[in-house]
Amino acid sequence: MKALMTAAALAALASTATAHYGMIIPSDNMVSQEDGRSIDLTLSFSHPFEGIGMVLERPEAFTVTHGGKTTDLLDRLQDTQVMDHAAFATEYRLDRPGTHVFAMTPKPYWEPEEDAFITHFTKTYVSAYGDDDGWDAELGLKTEIVPLSKPFALWEGNLFQGIVKLDGAPVPYAEVEVEYYNEDGSAVAPSDLMITQTIKADADGVFSYAVPADGWWGFAALNTAAEPMQHDGEDKAHELGAVIWVHFEPWGAK
Amino acid sequence: MIRALAFALALAALPVAAHDLRVFASVSGQTVTVESTFSSGRVPTGGEIRVLDAQNVLLMTLDIGDEGKTQFALPEGAANTGLMIEVEVSEGHSDYWMLTPDDIAYGQGKN
Repeated sequence: MKALMTAAALAALASTATAHYGMIIPSDNMVSQEDGRSIDLTLSFSHPFEGIGMVLERPEAFTVTHGGKTTDLLDRLQDTQVMDHAAFATEYRLDRPGTHVFAMTPKPYWEPEEDAFITHFTKTYVSAYGDDDGWDAELGLKTEIVPLSKPFALWEGNLFQGIVKLDGAPVPYAEVEVEYYNEDGSAVAPSDLMITQTIKADADGVFSYAVPADGWWGFAALNTAAEPMQHDGEDKAHELGAVIWVHFEPWGAK
Repeated sequence: MIRALAFALALAALPVAAHDLRVFASVSGQTVTVESTFSSGRVPTGGEIRVLDAQNVLLMTLDIGDEGKTQFALPEGAANTGLMIEVEVSEGHSDYWMLTPDDIAYGQGKN
């Protein structure tokens, strides 16, 4: 019995040890003029494959960048629930064509199980009115994934590539976690190792991942900040995540 | 009203594929601005803009202006029904923008 309980305890631990993701999910990421002029955006913090929600406190920053200009949207966020936990939502009118990059900087999250703080700098790219100009925009975040593949208008099966940057410089051999937003719970992983897949960037900080199915996929490049954070008077590690959410479309063949 | 304009578009038999010309129109006060650009970022050196009402009646024909921008006064009544703006640069290079009543109201600060 003791052995069984230990196994159960381990299983419980494993279920909470999968990857955390900051999330920004728009209602549409390729908006045509026939679709209307506005999109809904939902900001959350979760384990996206397992559908386990976490509390997202009001972020430190939420912005949209278009044509090189960044606009603060923090005051527009409304309370909502995602996976039964506190999250935020807003509606945004796409005034002009081109790529709109939405980015969230959350408050550092204290994760006792990892004895560390976690901050996921999270972003997603939305194309408006058939114009992809600005799809490769770099925002200059503390850490971010700069897309080498256009981060929309991708088929399932396409290779997604990006450069992991920290303080503006590529991160050689950066670790990147990849996870599917299992929104309807239909995806099943044959092993816990496949809930979050882990890959590494090359010597230039470039990573590649071929996506097996349509839907939203999150890529999180993880680094540790040079400066620790204080918790109860002790220095603790601060994980800096560069997260990008990318939607892949189902192959169109009938 | 977007649906009504879309219906007018179908009647116009304009090539649906946007090819690499991109057209966007917006309103500021009583002025409509049409912007025409290629996906490369270059602007067309010539071409024609046709402005139609929601019943597909041609209201005016204009040249593409400098920097790919063309401006005209908002026609009377357009705020209620919207406009269809078609741009044709050359064969295979055409696009359109449906300027909806909502677009016009937004540009006039009414919504």
